[in-house]
Amino acid sequence: MELNYAVAMMLVALGLYCVIAKRNLIKMIMGLSVLTDGIHLFLISLGYRAGGTAPIVAGEMISDLQGFASRAVDPIPQALVLTSIVINVCILALALSLAVHIYRNYGTLKPSEIRRLRE
Amino acid sequence: MEFIWDPLMVTAAMLLCSAVGYVILLLSRMGTKPRPNPEKNRTYACGEVLKPEELHPDSAGFFSPVKKVIKPFYRRVGGAHTGDLNRYLLWIAAGLLVLFVTVFLMEVVLGWAL
Amino acid sequence: MIPHSPILAIVLPLLGGFLSPVIGILERKHGWRRATGIFALIVMGVVCVVVGSMVTDVWAGQFIIYELGGWSPPWGINLAVDALGAQMALMIAGLGILVVLYSLSYMRDETGLGQFYALLLIVIAGMMGTVLTGDMFNFYVFLEIMSVGSYALVAFRRTPEGIEGGIKYLFIGSIGTTSILISIAMLYGLVGSLNIADIGAKLTLYSGNVPPALTLAFALFVTGVMVKVAMVPFHTWLPDALTGAPTVVSALLAGPAAVVGIYWVARLPYLPFGMPVGVILVSLGLLSMVVGVLMALVQRDFKRMLAYHVISQKGYMVLGIGLGTFGSVLGAQGGLFHLLNHSTYKCLLFMCAGAVLLQANSQKFDELGGLGKKMPVTAAMFLVGSLAISGIPPMNGFVSKYCIYLSGLELGQGWITAIAVVVSALTLASFLKAFSSVFLGQLPGRLEGVREAPRPMLISMAIMAAVCVAIGLLPAIGFNIVGPAQAAAENSVGYITHVFGENYLAAGGMMP
Repeated sequence: MELNYAVAMMLVALGLYCVIAKRNLIKMIMGLSVLTDGIHLFLISLGYRAGGTAPIVAGEMISDLQGFASRAVDPIPQALVLTSIVINVCILALALSLAVHIYRNYGTLKPSEIRRLRE
Repeated sequence: MEFIWDPLMVTAAMLLCSAVGYVILLLSRMGTKPRPNPEKNRTYACGEVLKPEELHPDSAGFFSPVKKVIKPFYRRVGGAHTGDLNRYLLWIAAGLLVLFVTVFLMEVVLGWAL
Repeated sequence: MIPHSPILAIVLPLLGGFLSPVIGILERKHGWRRATGIFALIVMGVVCVVVGSMVTDVWAGQFIIYELGGWSPPWGINLAVDALGAQMALMIAGLGILVVLYSLSYMRDETGLGQFYALLLIVIAGMMGTVLTGDMFNFYVFLEIMSVGSYALVAFRRTPEGIEGGIKYLFIGSIGTTSILISIAMLYGLVGSLNIADIGAKLTLYSGNVPPALTLAFALFVTGVMVKVAMVPFHTWLPDALTGAPTVVSALLAGPAAVVGIYWVARLPYLPFGMPVGVILVSLGLLSMVVGVLMALVQRDFKRMLAYHVISQKGYMVLGIGLGTFGSVLGAQGGLFHLLNHSTYKCLLFMCAGAVLLQANSQKFDELGGLGKKMPVTAAMFLVGSLAISGIPPMNGFVSKYCIYLSGLELGQGWITAIAVVVSALTLASFLKAFSSVFLGQLPGRLEGVREAPRPMLISMAIMAAVCVAIGLLPAIGFNIVGPAQAAAENSVGYITHVFGENYLAAGGMMP
């Protein structure tokens, strides 16, 4: 599945571009979210197996565990991505609330004008 | 190289020398007593009148000789700390690129292993 | 050793953090005073006892491995505590309890303390997890717990400077931890495992020809760790975050949070990658030392100057560890010893700045002056801290800096020692300016009513100053902690053997 990896890297590059080059805090936060989504896509594609089954052991599969293990998709990246999505939702919520407070205190969302702490 | 350092001896030596210095100070005070008067206590400012509050050294200009000696540094590096978040993130991306090129050159081209 | 102590050291602050808002609600309803602070102090006391029992066992020669849930590695997560982790856990616990003691009186007039202590204890739990774990993704999760908690703590008081510092810290810190996540993802794709010892064993197969993907993963990991350690040019979040934060949070970020970064810098050349990074460490260390101290000379704000000195001193540590990779044992020991000393005197300096800020309501040099008569104990503590950071005997800073100077000469590179000595001299100069601006000179009229800082703050500061002088007079205390830590950091083969057994490395990392 080469397309997955190409799209994941494109998302990471686009997210990084948004964070570096956009002049609005909300757009930068969106870029951070796109960046982490690209990484999640990359992680999930690592565990993919073409034509595989879900890695859940049900009743009739217990007798044939070797065959099941050779057909199932890798479950570890799925656990990693779930954890990472939760962490990034936390960061997104915190960043958005900080952006609201910045707008109240500074009146603007441009990073070039939020510069009271300089040099 | 050997790590030769005897802290107790050095501390004892420092305390002894400070004690000797203090004894010299006390002896000098016994010789001539201090006689303060308001005229002596006022700060000399070439004839100007100064209030005590204005006597604070300016904190940014305290090291102006050092600043003048290494002026190119402060113009470049001090000027680069603009406070602009996008510029700071660009430094990180540039630093990542430099690190990758360095590690690639060291590991692959020159073949340095640990 | 108290049974289950590695996991207790992580879970107890986490549990305390979740109970703090409840105690806060009870405090408001019944009108108790400082209940949340005393609760946090009790939790940190228990954590100190647990960590103490674990650490005495590790120094007796045992390598503690704790398997979570009974699953053996590499299928389960394990906590691996060797002498390096023991030093770091001891420092986090000790500094944590002193910072909580300081915060008892610093935050006495403030509300919302239930949430504050919740975040503080969660940050300490995250830090403990980062240094005690043996699994890569577990490390990432605890690193994010620590980082997100500290983003919120920096912006806790919602002052404009605090929020600005918080959002800058958030963006730069997130980019750092994101690059660590990409690196872990690429490592998993290459090797198929997440256990640090397992990755270390399996990556030895690549020692001849390194694929470019591994180089990219390594570069991303180094970038992420350098963002956390605040080396130049990744350092820009540190001055802003430490200036805008409440002083308790500044002391927390400058002391224990440095421990996490330097723990991974010490492991970088050996585990799990075995790739050459010595030149990078030495050059970044030298650059940070020089840039940090030169930017600190021209600051107007007390805490911002102390923040730039944090960058400079961390440069010393990274330089020491970098010199250690070139064969100088004294260098690596000096770097780790400098971490031990730096945390004590840097927390002490931030606490003095906080005491001045609390009593005189200002943290700019131009508005302060002549406080030496009104706050004599604080002035004496600040003097001890300034002498320690400048590397003047008989304080502890001298011993660790002497180790780094000697290691530079030992490797034949005298110019490194020369730069280090000049940076020490400039540090002393900048602290002379700070001491004279704040504590000597004339007292402005509006500061007439300033009194000495409250008692718990003075007790914390006095304990740290006593530790500074004690380690300075008896450096053997420090070397007993740091010597095994440095040996454990370099002993990657020993680490893998302890986790997996004798023949794992020889079999190329395959289970029988």
